[in-house]
Amino acid sequence: MNSEEYKVVNKLKVYRAMRNFTQEELAQKLGVSRQTIIAIENNKYLPSLPLAFKISQLFKINIEDIFEYQEE
Amino acid sequence: MSSMNIEKFKQIRVGVAFFVGFLVSIAVSIDSTVLALAAIITGIIFLVLARSKAKVVVDERDKTIREKAANITYAIFAPTIATGALLLILFGKGRYLYLESLGMVLAYLTCFLIVVYAISFWYLNKKYGGGNEL
Repeated sequence: MNSEEYKVVNKLKVYRAMRNFTQEELAQKLGVSRQTIIAIENNKYLPSLPLAFKISQLFKINIEDIFEYQEE
Repeated sequence: MSSMNIEKFKQIRVGVAFFVGFLVSIAVSIDSTVLALAAIITGIIFLVLARSKAKVVVDERDKTIREKAANITYAIFAPTIATGALLLILFGKGRYLYLESLGMVLAYLTCFLIVVYAISFWYLNKKYGGGNEL
């Protein structure tokens, strides 16, 4: 299965807004660059599993709540 | 020097590049190897110190980009240089010794590149649990 057959979308922007975090603040909390946060929010970059867990732990939610797997 | 952000580090990097370039151009004009070397070494030391003070985040996205860039570079560079080497050897054989020699150098370089790729691939394949297929 190649990456054209599936899509993973996320609600990072929504959860970030709910917590009133700026992209810079979220990037610092996760130990990544602001460009990475922008890329994830725009579904341009798929984060690694450890980073996905880190995000879900930061927002105290399940990974499935924030990342959604879609088959095309 | 307290901690600095990435923007300041980038400004310092540009400043150092200009300074080193200026000194190297002076060194070339007065034919002074020592001055050129001193300028380059000073620039490197200053940048290393500035980088250690700056909060330069190299994260997983940067690593992914680097991996893909390296992959593309290899995929383009290896066949191009191999073809160039072959053409130079064929064209220069018996007629232009310097072209043939250059072709040989490029051919060995291609072999070296492929060997390095193969060794690193084998090592990484082992590291990430591959190579035990039955």
